[in-house]
Formats: sequence, structure tokens, C-alpha cells
Amino acid sequence: MKPIIRAANVGKKYYIGAREAARPTWRDALRNSIRNNAPLLLGRYGPHHPFIWALKNVSFEVFPGEVVGIIGTNGAGKSTLLRILARVTRPTTGGADLYGRGGSLLGVSTGFHPDLTGRENIYLNGAILGMKRNEISRKFDEIVAFAEIEDFLDTQTKRYSSGMYLRLGFAIAAHLEPDILLLDEVLTTADVSFQKKCLDRIKSVSRDGTAVVFVSHNLKSVTHLCQRAFHFHRGEIHDEGKPGTVIENYLRKFSV
Amino acid sequence: MSTSVNDATSIVPDLSAPLFGIERPARLLPAEPVTKIRPTKFWETIDLGELWAHREVLYFLIWRDLKVRYKQTMIGAAWVVVQPILMTLVFAVFLGRFIRVPSDGIPYPVFAYAAMLLWTFTSSAILSSSYSLVTNSQIITRIYFSRLALPTAAVGVRLVDFMIASVFLLVFMIYYRVQLGWTIVILPLFVAEIAVLALSLGVLTAALYVRYRDVGTLLPILLQVWMFVSPTVYSASIVPARLRLLYSLNPLVGIMGGFRSALFNLSFDWTSIIISALVTLVLLAFSLQVFHTLDSSFADEV
Repeated sequence: MKPIIRAANVGKKYYIGAREAARPTWRDALRNSIRNNAPLLLGRYGPHHPFIWALKNVSFEVFPGEVVGIIGTNGAGKSTLLRILARVTRPTTGGADLYGRGGSLLGVSTGFHPDLTGRENIYLNGAILGMKRNEISRKFDEIVAFAEIEDFLDTQTKRYSSGMYLRLGFAIAAHLEPDILLLDEVLTTADVSFQKKCLDRIKSVSRDGTAVVFVSHNLKSVTHLCQRAFHFHRGEIHDEGKPGTVIENYLRKFSV
Repeated sequence: MSTSVNDATSIVPDLSAPLFGIERPARLLPAEPVTKIRPTKFWETIDLGELWAHREVLYFLIWRDLKVRYKQTMIGAAWVVVQPILMTLVFAVFLGRFIRVPSDGIPYPVFAYAAMLLWTFTSSAILSSSYSLVTNSQIITRIYFSRLALPTAAVGVRLVDFMIASVFLLVFMIYYRVQLGWTIVILPLFVAEIAVLALSLGVLTAALYVRYRDVGTLLPILLQVWMFVSPTVYSASIVPARLRLLYSLNPLVGIMGGFRSALFNLSFDWTSIIISALVTLVLLAFSLQVFHTLDSSFADEV
């Protein structure tokens, strides 16, 4: 079976340290030596700027219809990997090939404007996520039903509770119909009933052939949903296999 | 699934088996990847096709800004006319009446308003483009679309404002009984040219602002200077002949002069018009390339 995502030697380097040092004002650049700052002005960081490798040599494949879970401690590189797959940022080394349309939910209510109503934000958010106008219109009622906000469609979203924001954000993303769905810890603030709704939705899209990459701290949902799990540690794939095993090892090694 | 639990290497799941008891439809994958994600190379040129592919996002970004503005203000559309009118009023009194600045034989207020219209568009388009990326930082760090859509949307919003404010220009022209000539047909060309110029500078400053926050403080000052270096409130005829060529390197000289010539049926200064077109195109190519080079670092630095 051909993979729908193929990642090879993906690495990501981040420059760290004082923001002032990394982003000089022109006064600083003039004051310091030309040798130090010329690379910065030309768009490159000098060799002496401190950095970390958020991801190192990550290679894997994901197949259509698979739900893959990614777990790991904070700072392990999970979100960085998803951002690269979502094309938000570029890798420093290596690369990934995507054999299908990607849809990502790296944060909920991306692009929502608080002064716009729920109805208006559905169109705005849907368009930003990559849906065409007629597609949004077609799926409008389903989205509203999924989010359970029928009564609040014409209220400005600044009046919405955080739960409503989350439900609406997920509802729109859930109706994207991408070939690849990237989810980054989106269920953390959802209540139990909505979580179940989301997990059911993920199951149903994976049945239709969508590959899902699911980053979560909710180990139970990973066990329940995923056929395969990766454990990331310090930017590398530490472990891979069936979710039950991977999680067991993870808890044994890293939990308190 | 029948793989060994102890198998530490990559496990290929048996996806031909039913999942949750339901048969899977086979999904046909393309031979070539839909997207190739690679590190940037500095010689990559910008892909304008990406912007076209994301044109719906562009439309919605413009729609969003316009909708929000009209929800937040009471007077709504009227605001976009206030700035050029107020400025024209001030200049009409001090420069038009007291100093009697030359205005190519056209009544000063309508002469100044025509250019003020262009100027208000240019300066506000460039300013709002410049912070478009930073203001939308939440979006660009979470979802991917052609980042060019953001400064372009900012310019688009101001273009809409320009259209609304130009209605007042019509009123002015009727009031002063200005005669139109055939030249009015090439007016849209100058509008298109200034839009391209504003877009180029907007795109450039947007890209630079992400990395160098100085741009935010420097830009208003530079724009002020540029306004007076351009024939906004005076006619280019006041510039001595020997300095005229140097003066014309400013693309607004050709554009504003041409706009006025087309509008009021005056003679065209073709030299400055050609120079402005060339400068605008060069600026466009340059800005797009700078934007593309810095694009890959926007999500990391914004």
C-alpha cells in the first residue's frame, strides 16, 4: 500500500536566546560590529547564535485511512512536526511528500474575529481552512448542527463561551474532507460528550480513507482511536508501534 | 492485526482488514505528491499561482475587514471620505488661497483633491499592509495559505475605500465645472499602476516588519516625506527643469501627473509616466522576491 505521507530525515532548527539579539534594531546593528550583524541584515543568523534542534532526522510513513497518534512530553517536537506537515513552517533539513490535500486544526477558532457573528465566522474560518464558498454553504447546516449553536448563529462570537468557540472551530474543521487531517491537541478543553462526538467523527473520516495524525496528551483517546502510535522524545522518534504498547512504555519510563 | 508486539521496527498496519467491522474503500493516490515540503532555497522564485489558488481566502480577508469596520463605526462608509476632504480643505486654504501654489490652470481644491485621493489610498494601503502579517500572526502560525494574501487584502480594502472616496471627486468636478476629454478613458490605467505600486511597497514593508520592528516607526515618517516629494499639493511644474528628471524617478510623479492629465484633459508628461511604469515594475519584482525569501521564516518570527 502506498503511503499518503512520506517524511524523510525531517529536521527543524530553532534559534533561541534573547529576542533582542535575534532581531536587532538598526541602532543595535550599527553599534555592534559589522561582522556580527551583516548576516542578520541579509536574512541569515550568524553562526554564534544559540539554537536547538526541535526535530532531528524524523522519518516515517502514514497510510490512507490510518489514524496515527503522536505522544510525548512537552517540547518533544510533536507540534513542530505538525506545523511542518501543515506547511506553516519549513523544515531545516529533509522533507515530506504529501499525496493528498491536507487539512489542519492546529488551534481552534483560527481566524475568528470577535466582532463577527457565528454565521460570518463560519465562512471566514472555513475559507481560511481551505474550503470554497459554495462548499461552506452546502455544509453550513451540518456544521451548525455539529457545533450545536443554532440559536447563537447571529450573535457576535465575542459573546461565545470558550466551549462554543471550540465546538464551532472543530465543527468547521471536521467538515473539511481533506485526504490528510492533522490535529494538534484540539480536544483538551472539550467536555466528555463533545469529545466523544469528535472522536466518532475522526473514526468516520478515517473510514472514508482520510489519514489522521493525532497529537494528544489524552492517552485514553489515543488508545481508543489510533492503529499506530509514535512516541516523540527530544525531537526524535523514540518508540513506535501499537498504541497500547507504546503508551505502556511511555508511562513506565517518563511518568512520575 | 497480526503483527508481533515485540516488532520494534516500523509496523505496516494491515489496512486491507476491516476496521471497526466496516470494509474500507480503496483510495487511489496520485503518482506524484500533491505537495512537496522542503527546506527553502534562496533562489526560489515566488509562486503567484499559490495566491490565485487561495483567492477565496483573499476575498474573505477583504470582506472581514470591511464588515468589521462597518460594524464598529457609526458613520461607516463616510469615514473614508473624511481624510482626503479634510486634508484638501487645509491645503486649499493655505497653499491654494494664501500662497497661490500653481495648479496647472485647474481650480486648486479639485486639483488637490484628485491627488489627495491617490495619496490617501497609497499611504493607508502601505501602512495597513505593513502590519498585516503581524496583526494576523495567530492565523499564519496555525494554518497555511499564500501569505501574500494578507498584504494584498489590506491593499484591496483601501482600494474599495478609494472607489467610495472618488465619488466625491465627481461631485467636486461637477461643482467646479471641469471639462472632461477623451483622456478620461486611460484613467483606470493610472489607478491600476498606483495599486501595483502600493501593493509592492506594502508587500515589502510587511515582510520586513516581521523581522525588523523599526519599520513600524520609520514608515509613517518616510510616508510624510514622500507626500511632499510628490506633486500631491503642488504641480510638478514648480520643479526646475534641470532637476525634473531626478524628480521623476519618484513613481508618484508620473502617476499623479498622469492621473490629473487624464482627468482634466491636460497635456501628458510621457517621460515621467514611462519612468514611473518602469520603476513600479522593478519594485514589484523586487518586493515579491524579498517577500518570498522571508516567507519561510514568518511563522517562526512573527
